[in-house]
Amino acid sequence: MPGMRLSRWLLAVPMSLLALATIYPLLFTANVAMKTRRDYILDRFSLTDALRWDNISTAWNSAGMSRYFVNSLLVVALSVVLLLLLGSMAGFALSQLRFRGSSALFLGCLAGLFVPFQVVMVPLARIMADTALIDTYPGLILVYVAQFLPFTVFLMTSYYKMIPSEIIDAARIDGNSVYGVYRRIMLPLGTPALLSVGILNTLFCWNDVLMALVMMPSAEHRTLMVGVTSLRGQYSDDIPTFASGVLIAAIPVLVVYLFLQRQIADGVAAGSTKG
Amino acid sequence: MPMGNAQPSVRPAQAGRTDGAVASGAARRGGRSRRAGGGSRTERLAPYVLVAPAILIIVLLRLYPLLLGVNFSFTGDGARNGTPVGLDNYLELVDDPLFRTALGNVGLLVLLLPVAVAIPGLLATFIYLRVPGHRVYRSVYFFPAVLSPVIVGAIFNLLLAFDGPLNAALGSVGIGSVDWLGNPDIAMFVVVGVHIWATFGMALVVFLAGFATLDSALLDAARVDGASLFQVIRHVIVPGLSRTIAFVFVTTMVGMLTSMFGLLYVMTSGGPEGSTYLPEYYIWIQQGQMNRPALASAASTALFVIMLVVGLLQVQLLRRAGRED
Repeated sequence: MPGMRLSRWLLAVPMSLLALATIYPLLFTANVAMKTRRDYILDRFSLTDALRWDNISTAWNSAGMSRYFVNSLLVVALSVVLLLLLGSMAGFALSQLRFRGSSALFLGCLAGLFVPFQVVMVPLARIMADTALIDTYPGLILVYVAQFLPFTVFLMTSYYKMIPSEIIDAARIDGNSVYGVYRRIMLPLGTPALLSVGILNTLFCWNDVLMALVMMPSAEHRTLMVGVTSLRGQYSDDIPTFASGVLIAAIPVLVVYLFLQRQIADGVAAGSTKG
Repeated sequence: MPMGNAQPSVRPAQAGRTDGAVASGAARRGGRSRRAGGGSRTERLAPYVLVAPAILIIVLLRLYPLLLGVNFSFTGDGARNGTPVGLDNYLELVDDPLFRTALGNVGLLVLLLPVAVAIPGLLATFIYLRVPGHRVYRSVYFFPAVLSPVIVGAIFNLLLAFDGPLNAALGSVGIGSVDWLGNPDIAMFVVVGVHIWATFGMALVVFLAGFATLDSALLDAARVDGASLFQVIRHVIVPGLSRTIAFVFVTTMVGMLTSMFGLLYVMTSGGPEGSTYLPEYYIWIQQGQMNRPALASAASTALFVIMLVVGLLQVQLLRRAGRED
């Protein structure tokens, strides 16, 4: 294709512009977070004249972002550990063990994929209120686990299917119980998938706002994302502090992305190609 | 979750680590009585014990509430709490202009769906054809997909404010200010645009995984024959990726129906004049703010039916695409 080389270079122009449009909004926000209120009102685009951390510390301390940060960390960490544990247990059994009703149970798990939180929001809130789990950490953790478990079970099952059954047979002959096989063979062999699914679940839980809003109504239980939305009303005339709060909420995700980009993209791709 | 034709991109760490166990197992096979297949009761129950926690949680917190909600949608709110009211909630929904707007916006999403799929599809094609700098684009484009809708919404709130930077920039080149989020005629388009900005990287990665399975010999043949870029897309890429394309269509639609709450909540709160309502936002307002849980359940059931239609369409599409392969 003679015209191809030229057209490739022509394409690079809009693609670079789009790349710029992809990262500019966050750079803009980071810049605003460093500015004084006065500087921002005078000129929105000018580069900050100094790396100022006062806005960040106002958002972190006075606006309560530190509290929300710890709430999020706690809820997300426990949810992801539970998701990986329950998902790998079920995935192992559904992929490698033969037992009555296994395909029905697998379909039962899959059915969960077609019921998003919005569809069961009202009855779920009621169940949580009846069991005194609403506005508690265990309540929100359970809701996250229920939301992302079908996907986790699905991915772990298809991953474990690729492990040759000879390995399990050999371990059984070696005297391992089913639980021993899970703990000594399946968990270690599952590490790459657990890592991928774990990172994705961490992002999903960390980024959620609707479930946290419905299940954790009181102010001291706010997660970081709910905290950002409350900041908006509180600091509507102090944009640099608001931008600082947004930045605080985005930084952990940014760090994760910089280091684990590959695994995140692989996880997304795996979700689309497995089965 | 459904399935393209791509190779799984995560593979098990191959047996290396367990070679030892296999070898020692084989060595001992003669000496020990064979226990595989598990005779004891605990061993036979083990699979159920392993699956039980997951299935219990999914049944109790997903499938049972689904039935509860459908049931609930046929009862009353407030004074009529708990009493059967037949289809009253559904009739009220149909009459509610806000819910109608929400449904109309779902229609708008369906119309915009081809755009939301074509953008990542084209970009993935260009990256696959190795546009200069293709390695960088993939990771840059994917980046907004990991940000929470709340963060994305908050950032665009700043950028799109009436006295904000975008209007300032437009003003400096002589274009008047646009009330991006305050004009009911354009607010929904703006929110959907931001949603596409934030999520096209996801679909891009899925497309690239699909491209990895494309037979490059076909592409080379097309090149030798002097096919244009458009012809390559039309005759090689689209037919080769039909399953991936069908998958992206469905996941993008599901994403639009179930993950725009954060954007709506932060950017417009359903306004101006209720023009940016979507079913999920309507459900949240009715259950949390208006204290109309039964009406919200009716809206939930409607959303579930929409999702079911999308799901069935997906099965259909994937089946057809599978036949073409």
